[in-house]
Amino acid sequence: MNDAETMIEVVDLHKHFKDLHVLRGISTTVKQSEVVAVMGPSGSGKSTFLRCLNRLEEPSSGHIYIEGVDILAPYIDINRVRTEIGMVFQSFNLFPHLTAIENIKLAPMSVRKLSDKEAVDRGMALLEKVDLAEKADTYPEQLSGGQQQRVAIARALAMQPQIMFFDEPTSALDPEMIGEVLDVMRNMAKEGMTMMVVSHEMGFIKEAADRILFLVDGEVVEDGTPDHIFNRTTHERTLEFLSKII
Amino acid sequence: MADPASNKNGTARLADLKAKAGYVPVIRRNGFVYAFLSLLVLYAIFLLPAKGSPETLDLGRIILFCLLLLVWAILIFTDELKPEKMKTVIVFTIFIIAAWLYYRYSTARWGEMGFLFFNLEMIQKAWPTLVEGFWTTLLLAVCAAIMSTIIGLLLAIFRSFENRVLNFFIIAYVDFFRAMPIIVLMMLIYYALPFMGIRLSAIVSGILALGLNSSAYVSEIFRAGFLSVKKGQIEAANALGLNPIQTMRYVILPQAFRVVIPPLVGNYVASAKDTALASSISIIELLKAGLSQKSLLANPSPLIFVTALYLIMFVPLTRFSGYLEKRMKASQRQVRL
Repeated sequence: MNDAETMIEVVDLHKHFKDLHVLRGISTTVKQSEVVAVMGPSGSGKSTFLRCLNRLEEPSSGHIYIEGVDILAPYIDINRVRTEIGMVFQSFNLFPHLTAIENIKLAPMSVRKLSDKEAVDRGMALLEKVDLAEKADTYPEQLSGGQQQRVAIARALAMQPQIMFFDEPTSALDPEMIGEVLDVMRNMAKEGMTMMVVSHEMGFIKEAADRILFLVDGEVVEDGTPDHIFNRTTHERTLEFLSKII
Repeated sequence: MADPASNKNGTARLADLKAKAGYVPVIRRNGFVYAFLSLLVLYAIFLLPAKGSPETLDLGRIILFCLLLLVWAILIFTDELKPEKMKTVIVFTIFIIAAWLYYRYSTARWGEMGFLFFNLEMIQKAWPTLVEGFWTTLLLAVCAAIMSTIIGLLLAIFRSFENRVLNFFIIAYVDFFRAMPIIVLMMLIYYALPFMGIRLSAIVSGILALGLNSSAYVSEIFRAGFLSVKKGQIEAANALGLNPIQTMRYVILPQAFRVVIPPLVGNYVASAKDTALASSISIIELLKAGLSQKSLLANPSPLIFVTALYLIMFVPLTRFSGYLEKRMKASQRQVRL
């Protein structure tokens, strides 16, 4: 993967919330099939950074290129861009009035204009993949947290995105359910999905991530392989943070 | 724990407690309560002042008797040792005594009640007018409901744009129509506006006043419905690439709708009851029809019939809206229609 295509390019990204300067000039690139973990202490702007990349938050300044397209350009149809980026949230955000399969087929049918049969076929295949085929007609409230998150992943994958964002996907889960979600994510990484993951799951990051972006106070203080960050870093803030979470 | 020593100790303590508490005193025994009840009944039948309008002095005796009855009933109802059956007997007895006292001392012409209140012949004569009134009431209620839903939903949608100037006007609208008594609004539209050259028929004025009033409440209901949809839902929809209209249609409206139905039905029922106010601007709706026929026939039977009709219409409806509300509270998933 030497000459892999650049999927995401971020140049000098700033974000202000009124007086709060949350992101202070972040620049980075993510290549195809790369798995990038975003780590950092709470309040460092990890989630905001991720949410800026599909414009759930509006960046204050800077440039974001997704597959070479400047998504902050005024003429851009952000909804088209978002179909290429799947997003998984900390609080799952499944639609409570729809069953698992309805959750999954909603966007393919309304946005991609797939027929009901095509969408259901695709949805069932994805549910199979996350090992929840038998829960297709179940409403979210009857699913466990881990199951809900796996449905949410399947829902995002149903749009066949090029990139997947995970915003603390396991933080709201009971410990015994974290594994099942990480397994799904691990498989996706193996299959070559380009992923950005805000997470503190050390085991998962060590195994699956190609790179770690370490954010402190809205700035990237370190950018390196898991091996580098976890074993050889000399950066003070990184060491301090790692000592707290291990 | 199966420790015999502590067990013995426990029983001993219970016996001790019983000894200290002693027996239930005579006045709290069931037999005594029933005896006292019989005495009260006998007292009510034979010793209270004679039939007719009682003198001031007699009135004191009656009030004293009622107070006695009340205090005694409260004592029994707060006593957990009394059997449920006894409490039931007491409830019925008190109702019968109250009815008996009312029958005994009111100066009403009970004998003529059939002729005065339930006179089928009079109702028959009034029938065509009453039917017409009923349709007018229905027309008022339905038109006001449609009008208030359209205006209310639009206001709520505009409100969700969170434009300051727009919001100021919407809030002013809602405040104005919630503060304004419907009957005042009706009179304003029907009696004041013609001076300005705006002449609306009575029925249009009535619908307008009811609909405007109700729309203020409906908009607040829809707004609460929209606010009940969590932010994460909209974000999830956006992240999937749904545009604002698709998000509204597939994610927000279905969820808001479930929350909104119970209070909305309640609001329609309340608004439908308010149609009776339209009688004040010479609309011959159900109440006015009953009233005019009462005057014409010099017999209140039509009015009694109208009252019964209101009950027949609205008891099931209020029950229904209460049921919807209960069902929504019971289920986290909210009402599934």
